[in-house]
Amino acid sequence: MKQFTTMEDKLGLNKFTAFEKTHLSIKPGADPMVVEHKLFICPAKVYELSDKGVPIVSFENCLECGTCRVAAPEEVEWAYPQGGYGVTFKFG
Amino acid sequence: MADEKFDAIVVGGGPAGLTAAYVMAKAGMQVIVVERGEHCGAKNVFGGIFFTNVLKEIMPDFMNDAPIERNVTKRRFALLTPDGEMGGDFKFDKFNKDFSNNSFTVMRSKFDKWMSDKAEAAGAMIITGTVVDDFLMKDGKIAGVKARMEDGDLFGDIIVLADGVNSLLAKKLNFHKELDPASTIIGVKEVIALSEERIRDRFGLTGNEGAAYEYFGYAAKGAIGSGFIYTNKDTISVGVGATIKSLLEHKLNPNDVLEAFKNHPTVAPLVRDGEQKEYSAHLIPDGGYNKLSKLSGDNVMVVGDAAGFVNATLFHEGTNLAMETGKLAGETAIEAFKKKDFSALSLSLYDTKLKNSFPMKDLKQFRNTGKTLEHSPKMFEKYPILFGELVSELFTVDGEPKWNKEKRLLTKLLTSENPFSLLKTLIDMRRVII
Repeated sequence: MKQFTTMEDKLGLNKFTAFEKTHLSIKPGADPMVVEHKLFICPAKVYELSDKGVPIVSFENCLECGTCRVAAPEEVEWAYPQGGYGVTFKFG
Repeated sequence: MADEKFDAIVVGGGPAGLTAAYVMAKAGMQVIVVERGEHCGAKNVFGGIFFTNVLKEIMPDFMNDAPIERNVTKRRFALLTPDGEMGGDFKFDKFNKDFSNNSFTVMRSKFDKWMSDKAEAAGAMIITGTVVDDFLMKDGKIAGVKARMEDGDLFGDIIVLADGVNSLLAKKLNFHKELDPASTIIGVKEVIALSEERIRDRFGLTGNEGAAYEYFGYAAKGAIGSGFIYTNKDTISVGVGATIKSLLEHKLNPNDVLEAFKNHPTVAPLVRDGEQKEYSAHLIPDGGYNKLSKLSGDNVMVVGDAAGFVNATLFHEGTNLAMETGKLAGETAIEAFKKKDFSALSLSLYDTKLKNSFPMKDLKQFRNTGKTLEHSPKMFEKYPILFGELVSELFTVDGEPKWNKEKRLLTKLLTSENPFSLLKTLIDMRRVII
């Protein structure tokens, strides 16, 4: 049986319904390096830095756990996604 | 919805909220449950065992149609070293009879949906796909909630906050502070399909029996955490959890910890050749007694994970604590409803009931667990490695006379670690985990 180990493959197992607007963001004025210093902890690896050092937030992959919110409360703006959107666990 | 007014509004359709709703609806109250997932359970994740002692009390016939995976008759605890394990287990046939020790593996997406159907059948209204962001205030008091939708104002006399571990609403009321990274665990898990026959053979089970394997020690790449495997009907749940603080310090991503756990030499044979079905993540409030939320106020009560009711010791209980708090909040609401008094004083009956309840007593007994684990990082790296070396060398067959070997290993132990420090850690551990 093929084993999925990359994040992309693993997230591909789940059902996601992306809303048009993000429910996650880095607060204006926050140091983008928080992505490297803290947000590596995100279980879905939602946060990345672009080549130019700009945070990329792939909110559509969010597992809605809240880890980023607790790890970086000063830098992360966090809300629940719109009702009925986001991840839907089949097993949970 | 602006014209409607409910006797109670429950925010969040998990075990705590649905129990509260069920109890209140049964007593004839007009109850609405507001759930953000497309159905109750759609956003809910746990490790794997639903403890049904409270469920049995309020729904004695639950075994007839509840979506149960397996009856947990076998529990195993192991201390992982980087390349091995030292463990022990117990399995009792009596756990397979009657209510199976009230320990069942379930899939929350199905189970919570089933519970919401029961609450609905009892008379509660369930609306799904709806997020609640704020409260409605009137004369300085909570008069309802604001759902994120057009015309989303909902009025109610009592608000039960069952919105889970992140509980943004209780935070808005200043009932508790932001979760502390040192006492908040991020758990990640995979559900992996295996045939029923393979599950029975691998875990030593018969029929519908289930197993719960818990892994301590070096289970999270040296971070403060643990791992687990739970058997479902034709899937297994494999996961790890570690404190956010510890993962930050170790620069670890939870999924990398999970991959390492799945590839551990003693775990890999149990999970291999399966088909991955789902990858999920969820926070666990591990702060215990010392970090509990304020529990009630004017027109409002907080239940379950939202209030911090998880027993993260060796017992790993959560769903039953959630249900008990939901039940007690429901009973309190019924009394308040009869008196038409929804003041903080009236609802403080919930606090009083909780004081004598098993969730509160258990959390109180183990109130130092989180702190002790946080201050015992050696239990997660240094000691498992040391114990593994001592035990494996002791049992290495190499012709060295046993007297020599035992003396040599004792010297090794005493030079590797201050014996008083080791003893203190072991005594502390015993106190906080069982």
